[in-house]
Amino acid sequence: MTRRQRRWPIHLALIAVCFVMLVPFYWVLKTSISGENIFSYPPSIVPRDPQPFYYVDVWYAIPFARYFLNSVVVSILTIVANVVLNAMAGYSLTQTFPGKQIVLMLFLSCMMIPFQATIIPAYLITGKLGLLDSYLGLALPMFSTIICIFVFKASFDAVPRSLIDAARVDGLSEWRIIWKVMMPLAKSAVATNVILSFIWSWNNFMWPLIATRSQDMQTLPLGLARFISYQEDTTGALYAFCIMVLAPGILLFLLAQKEFVQGLTTGATKG
Amino acid sequence: MSIRDDPAAPRWRRWLLNRFVLVPGTLAIIAIVWNAWVFTHNHGKIAGRVVDASGRAVEGAEVKLWVFNFTTFVEQASTQSKSDGSFQFTSNPSHNIQLSAEKPGVGRSRIPVRLYFQSEDLTLKQPLQLTEAATEGK
Amino acid sequence: MSVTAIDTADVRPRFTRRRSTRRAILIWSFLAPSLLIFLLYRILPLGWNLLLSFEAWSPLKPAVFIGFDNYQEMFWDDDVFWQALWNTLGIIASAPLGIAIALGLALLVNSDIRGRDVYRTLIFLSYPLMTVAVAIIWRWMFDERVGLINFVARSLHLADQPIPFLNSFTWALPCVIAANIWQMLGFYMIIILTGLQTIPGNLYEAAEIDGANSFRRFLRITLPLLRPSLFLCFVIGMLNSVTSFDLIYVMTNGGPGHATEILVTYIYKLAFNQTRFDYAAAITVVFFMLLLAVTWAANRLSGGNVGAVEHD
Repeated sequence: MTRRQRRWPIHLALIAVCFVMLVPFYWVLKTSISGENIFSYPPSIVPRDPQPFYYVDVWYAIPFARYFLNSVVVSILTIVANVVLNAMAGYSLTQTFPGKQIVLMLFLSCMMIPFQATIIPAYLITGKLGLLDSYLGLALPMFSTIICIFVFKASFDAVPRSLIDAARVDGLSEWRIIWKVMMPLAKSAVATNVILSFIWSWNNFMWPLIATRSQDMQTLPLGLARFISYQEDTTGALYAFCIMVLAPGILLFLLAQKEFVQGLTTGATKG
Repeated sequence: MSIRDDPAAPRWRRWLLNRFVLVPGTLAIIAIVWNAWVFTHNHGKIAGRVVDASGRAVEGAEVKLWVFNFTTFVEQASTQSKSDGSFQFTSNPSHNIQLSAEKPGVGRSRIPVRLYFQSEDLTLKQPLQLTEAATEGK
Repeated sequence: MSVTAIDTADVRPRFTRRRSTRRAILIWSFLAPSLLIFLLYRILPLGWNLLLSFEAWSPLKPAVFIGFDNYQEMFWDDDVFWQALWNTLGIIASAPLGIAIALGLALLVNSDIRGRDVYRTLIFLSYPLMTVAVAIIWRWMFDERVGLINFVARSLHLADQPIPFLNSFTWALPCVIAANIWQMLGFYMIIILTGLQTIPGNLYEAAEIDGANSFRRFLRITLPLLRPSLFLCFVIGMLNSVTSFDLIYVMTNGGPGHATEILVTYIYKLAFNQTRFDYAAAITVVFFMLLLAVTWAANRLSGGNVGAVEHD
């Protein structure tokens, strides 16, 4: 029996697929560093007269640092709030208390409501709170996510009961039990939550588009989308901007790819 | 990476010597060095020489600095080249400029210059070469 | 009533009762922030939407109850709504295509070959990236003059004239769908891969002994056992593509005409460009019903509880 299949067809197919997956990145990268007119036909396959000046142009054409800072602030707000609030909610769902079933039902039904189906009232509510065009207003709708609450619940449930009881006998307060006993055992839940909330807030486009007015509060995706309408995209500057926006994400993904893949799949399957 | 998993390593090394610290740290250092370089080299000085078609220095040519503004280049400053053909601007605010030189009877020349950051100090390696052809073509 | 009573014989039950109320307070205060967020940004908007859809209202006018007028306009007088609805359904229908490709990829990547982690990473790479940037990349790929796709098509003489992909009524929607599939592919693949790895290997060995060839093994073992994963992909993919506002906003902004308008982009335009909040709210209600219906159907088909997926 031939257990070993021939492998080169598999490699060939996968290389072809990877090629398709990567070529769009290459095409934009090539455009952003190519020295020739980007609309000359036929387009060159390799960058001709490579030069970095589109990046210089973009840097001075838009407040890139400001956009970046806005994105970072909103992401950090979201991540911190998410981890804290979701861990708290996840912990309370591991306890028995009156009204638990109602809360669970509420959470499960909230899961069915996609954010896109709530934008109009969300905008009006945020306006009533006076939070439009502020960091808090940008981050607030994403402060807590139900998937992550259940991820936390699952990992808290896995903490052995005896460990908690032992800590209680030792006279540790509830807060210290959570902080010293349970959180260290829920590291992967924290990682999942950080990754998911980072991706959601970093890539979020629709909400910032609605909730920001001034250019000072625009986040990176918004700045990128606005660049098309405000600036001429007859140079490679747009594509340089695109690469500048993608680079941090790709870098982060490559640094923590295991956590990313794990986080995103638990995020999807645990629900 | 491996040091992260090594329980024998001291705590501070596990916290400091991992890729999540080293990579951003390296990038931060590069950014700081680059900013220091920019900060010490952004006086807006543009220096160069004007020569004629045969390579001799041209005195008294009118040299203009054009700065890119949205879609066109607008004139920012002008000066006269000295006896050795050299000229210098000290107030360039931009990163995307053109230099033009003209002397009646000798010719004219115009070159685009791209800078790596705004007001970068630059000494042109290639002199501006005045040619009649450009004049006639105009 | 005096506090000193605690010191008497009934100290124990009182103590526990006080302790349990304190615990209840603790638990509810732990839940409160999350609940508040969900009430504020999920439950309340849902009700408000419903209310708005029966009113004539804009930020400057007082609300007037008009019954089903908004719905009547939507279903009988608004061609753009129907176009957007059909486009949305079309995008939902395209999700299985991406999943089929991803299934093939997952099988390939699951085989015991060298460097499969590298393949997985590269294929997955496009998923966590910013959709706006992905949209710009694909806008450029589909560019009429120098886009790579046109370039390849013309070089291979598949097309004589450059095809204005994103400005053509026939091509725009398939192009957007293709970009969407490209981005989701890696994610589907990982989900299916996770499903594949839970299938016990001895099932295959048994089937092999019984003389089943690899195609039959795939059909009889792999596919049925993958059903939950596949439907999970479908639900996520559907939610993701139906709500892929970013992609369409940047790539075509619903154009040309309304050829790539989906309900979300239409809602956005109505509410924030034309300030017709009331009418947009009515469409939101229909959109939400549609999502619920499709998720419910997928749930029933999969026979498991794969729904309940949060998406932003």
